[in-house]
Amino acid sequence: MTYPDDRRYPQPDWPQPSTEPYGRTPGYGSYGRGPGQEPSRSGYDDSPHDRYGQAARHEPYAHQPYAHETHRHGADLAALRSAYRVLRRVSTLTALGSFVVYVVLSCYATELMGARITGELSLGMALGILQLVVTFAAVFSYGRSARRSVDPLARVVRERAAGRTAGVAR
Amino acid sequence: MTDVDSGSQAIVLVLFTALVTVTLMMCVMAGPDRDDLTNFYTGYRSLTPLKNGLAIAGDYISAATVLSTTGIIALAGYDGYVLAVSTALSLVLLMFLMAEPLRNAGEFTMGDVLARNMPGRAVRIAACVVTLAATLPFLVVQLSGAGSLLTFILDMPHGAGARTACIVIVGCLMIIYAALGGMRGTALLQMIKIVILLGTSVVVAALVLNRFDWSPGELVRAAQQGSGTGPAFLQQGLQLGTSVGDRLDFIGLQITVVLGVACLPHITMRLYSAQDVPAVRRSMSWAVGTVTTFCLLVIVVGTGAAALVGSRSILAADPHGRTSVLMLSQALGGAHASAGATILYSAVAGMVFITLLSSVAGMTLAAASSLAHDLFAHAARRGRAEPRTEMTVAAWTCVAVGTVAITLATLVQNWDVGVLTTLAICIGASAVAPALTYSLFWRGFTRTGLLATLYGGASCALVLMVFSEAVSGTPSAVFPNADFHWFPMQSTGLVSIPFGYLAGWLGSRLDHRRHAADSRASRRLYDESEARLLAAAE
Repeated sequence: MTYPDDRRYPQPDWPQPSTEPYGRTPGYGSYGRGPGQEPSRSGYDDSPHDRYGQAARHEPYAHQPYAHETHRHGADLAALRSAYRVLRRVSTLTALGSFVVYVVLSCYATELMGARITGELSLGMALGILQLVVTFAAVFSYGRSARRSVDPLARVVRERAAGRTAGVAR
Repeated sequence: MTDVDSGSQAIVLVLFTALVTVTLMMCVMAGPDRDDLTNFYTGYRSLTPLKNGLAIAGDYISAATVLSTTGIIALAGYDGYVLAVSTALSLVLLMFLMAEPLRNAGEFTMGDVLARNMPGRAVRIAACVVTLAATLPFLVVQLSGAGSLLTFILDMPHGAGARTACIVIVGCLMIIYAALGGMRGTALLQMIKIVILLGTSVVVAALVLNRFDWSPGELVRAAQQGSGTGPAFLQQGLQLGTSVGDRLDFIGLQITVVLGVACLPHITMRLYSAQDVPAVRRSMSWAVGTVTTFCLLVIVVGTGAAALVGSRSILAADPHGRTSVLMLSQALGGAHASAGATILYSAVAGMVFITLLSSVAGMTLAAASSLAHDLFAHAARRGRAEPRTEMTVAAWTCVAVGTVAITLATLVQNWDVGVLTTLAICIGASAVAPALTYSLFWRGFTRTGLLATLYGGASCALVLMVFSEAVSGTPSAVFPNADFHWFPMQSTGLVSIPFGYLAGWLGSRLDHRRHAADSRASRRLYDESEARLLAAAE
């Protein structure tokens, strides 16, 4: 199974991100906005990878009132994106990987999986039931790490977006 | 079923009528107002996470899952245990990988998710076609199974007339639930079903364990004897065989189940009715917990069926063992005509009945919603349909989908159509899963790629399935006397899932080359909607 966001296949037609914004945390204060200013989306419709991690590109827009805001928004979004990506990959690959190993072992290591642990209980059965039991713990720990790593970042992005919309409305 | 006396049949009939009356009343009372689309499709997103989670679990555990999984465990032992694990894991994977972005991206149907970055009628039509291709086979197999199951439960003569009557009755009820209840009404139905299902399974599993003095070892030993296979009962290979190709087929089937079942449209549709991201996470936690508990119980129940009923009787009643739960409840009841035996049999029969009803109703609603929302409102009327008109169309498409399903189920009732379940899951894994993962996580995904994934994955699964071992050439196939198979497997996932992903990638590459402007446009739309996708920011 391939994951679309792995970007295994380099695409020469598109500008590639020079740095992956892993581990960035939202430490930015919110920038106030004067009333009556029109929102500028410049720097936003371009290729997305150039928005963050390359500060030099944003200098031409520095005189525009919203360029900085857009930049911050992009950085928040990038942090959220990478947090989600880490969470998704770790949890999915763990779940899928352990299951594939289990099925392959069941098929090709029948003697190992048929080994009796206690009484009639074979290793294969025990592992199968163990996976079901571990599922409860996995779901619990997914929820906990999502609350820790993703939710605060998502809140920042949401608030900033709400701020932008409010700015437009004014 | 010669030993069920007329008294317990009368009780079963009364129970069925009571179940139908109560659920119909609740369904209609919870149903939507005449011209409120959001209410019809999502129930205002007003369900609490616990309720929504139970509804997801209810939709997820279809009658096919309950009856076939028990049967496979009873007949094939270890292979059935692996199937139970993969069934539970599929929902876990949906939760980890897609549930949250899917909730943010979707509105009412799968077409909304896929078309958000690629507006256009072709996408909507493709989404609708694949939704139908994935839900209709599932619907037909369960309806045609309903015929034989109900005649079995009520001990009617196994003539075609009685089965047709049962199919038509269940089909009409399912249309009424879906058309009048909408999302909210069917959610209530699913909650009632999952509570009854879990309650009955707990009781049956406890009775099984009690019979063996709460010793799993004794139970497993008795199951090995009852299955007549001895130690092979606890090793992989009874279901599909032990040659190299058979084992590959087994691995392919399990991976298809893991990727495909949870992606089916009638399950993802429930996610859109969650309030926000924490709510969808809690809903999914409840759903996964419920489904996992059920899978643990089904292992005990299936092993108990092998131990107490024995594979010979199970096979005599149904080659797939779908009646094993019912036969187990009779075996547990022991002495005929005792009150306890009658109550247990009625409870299990009622559980099977409500499970059948609710799963077909959920699938009808998913298919009809896609027809009304994607095909009528967005493809035919280009998104300018009045909500009131769309509601009316949705109700009538429920009737249409139901009628088609009833007709097909009646036509195929004499064939062994269990293969249609596999087909639906294969289409889910090779068309729906690639389309959703690409659409949610790959910004370079384009319209051509999406169409290639949906049509390519679905048709690859369909063609391979038609020419597979499961349809012709083997004694257990749909057409055992004909032989036109050239695909040597029972399920197509091992080939069609990579094909679906490859088709999407190649299609997108083609768009980058040929229609650079279009592909840039869909990339820009992805970027603009990313805040909404990840954080639900408007």
